[in-house]
Amino acid sequence: MGSVETECFLKLQVRSHLRTLSCSQERMELLHALRSLAGLLEDAEFTRTYYARALQVLVAKDWSKRLLHDHDKELERLWREMFLRGPAEPVLMTLLDAISSARCEVDRSSADSAQYREALIGQISALPSITSNQLRANTPEDLLPHRFYTLLAESILETLERTCQALRAGHDCSLSFISQLLGKVCIQGNGSYENPHNSINEGSNCPSGIFGTMAPRLSSLTRVDPLMQRVTQNLLEKVPERCMESVITGLVLSLKGPTAVSRLMGDLVLNNKKAQFVLTHKMLLQQYQHPSLLLKSVLGYLSLDSERRVLLKQVLRSVCQVWCNSSAVKHTCVEQQLYVTRALLLTVALLQNSEVQELRQELVQCMLGGVQCRLDSNIERIRRMGMVVGECLSQKLDTPGSQLQFQYESNEEIQELRSLMEYQAVEGEEPESDASNNLQPIVEASEVCAVPSQSITSLPVNDSDSELDSDDDLTPFDMSADQEKRISAPPRYVRDCLEGLMSEDAERFELSLQVAASLLRKNVTTTQEVSVQFCRVLLHLEDRYNTTLFLSLRQNAMVALTVTHVKPVVDYWTTEFFSLNYSLRQRLDILEVLALSAQELSEPIRSKQAAAQPIPEVVPPEQFDDITHWRHIVEKRIQSKTRRIGKGVTQPVKAAPNRFAPVAGCFFFPLLKNYDRPQTTFDLLGSDHLVLGRLLHTLGLLMHLAVNAPVASQMGRALLDFIWAVRFHTDQMVRRGVLFAVCSVFLGMHSENLLTDLGEDLMEARAWLADVAESDCDSDCRSLAMQSLVLLDRTLKAQLKIPEMKT
Amino acid sequence: MSRPPPDPLYILRGSGAPVNTLHFYCGGDGPPLLYSGSGKGAVHVWNLNTRRAEQVLESHNSNSVIWLDTFDGSRSSLISQGRDMRLCLWDLSEGRSAVTDSLLTGAVGFCQCSLLESQPGSSLLAHPTQDMEEVSVVEMKSWTQVCSLRPDTKLGMLMSMKMWQADSGPVLCAGYEDGSIVLWDVSQRHPLSFLKPLPEPVMCLDVHVCSQKGISGSSEKILQSWTVDGQRTLQMHHSVQMTNPGVSQMRIRADGKILATAGWDNNIRVFGWKKLKPLAVLQHHTDAVNSVAFSDHQDPTQRLLAAGSKDQRISVWSIYSES
Repeated sequence: MGSVETECFLKLQVRSHLRTLSCSQERMELLHALRSLAGLLEDAEFTRTYYARALQVLVAKDWSKRLLHDHDKELERLWREMFLRGPAEPVLMTLLDAISSARCEVDRSSADSAQYREALIGQISALPSITSNQLRANTPEDLLPHRFYTLLAESILETLERTCQALRAGHDCSLSFISQLLGKVCIQGNGSYENPHNSINEGSNCPSGIFGTMAPRLSSLTRVDPLMQRVTQNLLEKVPERCMESVITGLVLSLKGPTAVSRLMGDLVLNNKKAQFVLTHKMLLQQYQHPSLLLKSVLGYLSLDSERRVLLKQVLRSVCQVWCNSSAVKHTCVEQQLYVTRALLLTVALLQNSEVQELRQELVQCMLGGVQCRLDSNIERIRRMGMVVGECLSQKLDTPGSQLQFQYESNEEIQELRSLMEYQAVEGEEPESDASNNLQPIVEASEVCAVPSQSITSLPVNDSDSELDSDDDLTPFDMSADQEKRISAPPRYVRDCLEGLMSEDAERFELSLQVAASLLRKNVTTTQEVSVQFCRVLLHLEDRYNTTLFLSLRQNAMVALTVTHVKPVVDYWTTEFFSLNYSLRQRLDILEVLALSAQELSEPIRSKQAAAQPIPEVVPPEQFDDITHWRHIVEKRIQSKTRRIGKGVTQPVKAAPNRFAPVAGCFFFPLLKNYDRPQTTFDLLGSDHLVLGRLLHTLGLLMHLAVNAPVASQMGRALLDFIWAVRFHTDQMVRRGVLFAVCSVFLGMHSENLLTDLGEDLMEARAWLADVAESDCDSDCRSLAMQSLVLLDRTLKAQLKIPEMKT
Repeated sequence: MSRPPPDPLYILRGSGAPVNTLHFYCGGDGPPLLYSGSGKGAVHVWNLNTRRAEQVLESHNSNSVIWLDTFDGSRSSLISQGRDMRLCLWDLSEGRSAVTDSLLTGAVGFCQCSLLESQPGSSLLAHPTQDMEEVSVVEMKSWTQVCSLRPDTKLGMLMSMKMWQADSGPVLCAGYEDGSIVLWDVSQRHPLSFLKPLPEPVMCLDVHVCSQKGISGSSEKILQSWTVDGQRTLQMHHSVQMTNPGVSQMRIRADGKILATAGWDNNIRVFGWKKLKPLAVLQHHTDAVNSVAFSDHQDPTQRLLAAGSKDQRISVWSIYSES
């Protein structure tokens, strides 16, 4: 009964005070009401039931006015006290509500309900957004995201440390609130991100966000304190399942090295299904945007404990499966393949010898299958990846006498992949203790670096001998004429040159090849007599004597032949392209030569005067100096300022006949003739897709060069027909070729012809292009498809506008 | 862009045979002279002012002349070495062309002699002998042998040599067939030092006494220079690579600034002497260059470079002669 009475009394008292506070203008009344309410703050019943209500009254509009204008010290002190001395949760909620002025419909009486907590966590984690929505540009520094989450991280850390102390003192603690908060922050994308401020200041790409502060601190705390380890592990375990992925990703990205990950996460990967899925599958096989440091951390973490090693083996199996899947090679982008390759190499590097023996069968199968389908690829980067992995795996398998060895040029990517094989989980740890200490070693290192560079610069000064001994006072003459002396003279006639190319004498061969192109161009009539024979010799030419620039010399000669005697030579090339017993290289050479010759033919012939280089003025030796003689400079200036009347107007560009237009058909149509007739040595639509890709590309080029030729529209129609058959080819090089050809058709054909001749085909092509632009796995293909769509739309628009304007 | 290499100042034509050896004489009164020895035994005396041959001496029974030098500081005292195994002394004064003395050396090789005028009136001459490995040093006036130098180990044929006056007495540097170079003390008659810079025969060598440095060339692309230090031992120094192999002769200009080589690739190459920095490639001849010589003119701007070639011409160049 007594309690009910006091409750009623309290209720009445509070009500009257609140009424005073909301309505009264009298200072004394207000002060009195505030004082008595502040006195009630110790009362549990008041804080539980009426406090929130009181706060709402206090944040109402007329109060802010009153405080701002009156400058009443006493009033302000009491008002503050009301907020600062009461329990934090309702204060925060009320203030945030007041800021966002959108009421949360939450049952405030039950402060412990899950709903209320959820709302609270939501408000805390979104505080920067809520405030900056209201304050816009005036948001204080502390409430900007990067600063706020740093502060939040610091408070979480403090809480964790206090938890440790409480646990030591024998109290029981629950971390679920912090876990949920952490999860919420991370899932909102504030777990870890690149902070521009941070990276500039520290010179390293240290990820920021909440883990940017927490991870290094936790890493150093857990190193010395096993209890802290248990607390963190507990914290992570309590993270709600839907937030698990973002928390783990953020954490692993911010930690340096697998041992730190292992300390913080413990056996989380074994206990939590979601964590296991994220760590062993999603991060490795589905995502590919992470740096290889993350892969090292994850895989190293799996390898550090004997129970987790079971998972490592499991990971190896699934990675192997993905890596040797030939359809994955064809249908995933290169970056993802690189990522999976990295994961594979790292996993293999972390395996112990006994485990390698255990998994031998899987590894061998993965190696053989994966390397094979990568070597088949037309993309050099993928081929190289296959070669590196082949070498690394066979080395690890250590089969005596049967280690794979490939020849390829090393580059940065290859070296990086190779270096992954040397990775050891334990050495991945950096001896960093605290984030604040990180700055010091960097400064020291730069100082240390600076010292030897100074000493290096000072070294030559001591070496006075060399200074006196130099020949610098004598300036050398031009020595470019100093060439290797040859015993035999280069051939002077086309037929001699032909014989020279067939001769066994290395020097004669080399000389003949060097002069072939210029000889052929100079002696047109003789060339036309022997052109086809010459073609045959050149096509079958092999680099027997390791001639420098062999390929380009041979190609130049072939182009010279084609240009001087177009019809027969082009006929020869196009028939030979589809005939038996040529190597891929030879067929590709033919295509290249056709494209280059077409290009040369389509360019207008330059007049000889313009082509001739002006003879350089001879500088008398007395005038010669390193800096140009002053007289020259003065003369140049005078020249540029002088207007010469005698010179006349510049010559208008003269029209010249296009040499390619009449013969474009000879180049083009024979190449379309025989593509679907497979022969024993050459199957264009089957395994020789490399040539198919090049063929399509060349056809596209020819189409492009034949722009404005009368035959162009026929060519375009034929090319689109041809393309139709191969547009869904599995090889991306072929698809690129197809798209390139489509682009050139749209560019090369006149827009009116395009619409009248192609009509319905165009609509189909459009649909197909849109599909490719959206869903092709190769980024080049996508952009090419986009490009051709744009082209097509532009021509169509231009074309469809004209009738409108007429009517 | 560096300046183009110079053209020859002038060409001396008319020797009628490959030019094997050249020697300038610019002292005394009268015009500067260039002596050239040809492959058919003729010695031409070219007047460099008129650019004509003043005198043609037929000698050595039409065997090729491989070496020429003047002695006694006089333009009319000439010594020539021919493939007929003889050395001839000439008196050319007052239009004469008489052989005053001759010596049968018995040497059948191509090694050129070396003359050292230690004090006026007495000269030492080092010449190859019948014995292929031996160097004989004789007193010029009397042909009395001063010493005979033979290496103890087998180094092959004597290929080239140069004798000069050191502080302690005359020394001789000799290059042999196996590529080694031996520094001999002539008065003590024992080898001072031994060096094998290149594996191929030493085709030519030259020593610049002031800088205590010498250089040797062979049938390969490399020129290797070496120093003679205080203990009179040979030390390897710089080396330089040429584009084409083979050097038949090389000369260091008296001022120690440049080195010229006569190449088998028809080119004359000029290097800075201190660091062997390549400076110029002079292209004129159409056949191998056999000989190069620098003039000893008193006026540095008149110091010319002459090159004699198998194509029967002598080209005269002015290079790096501006002070």
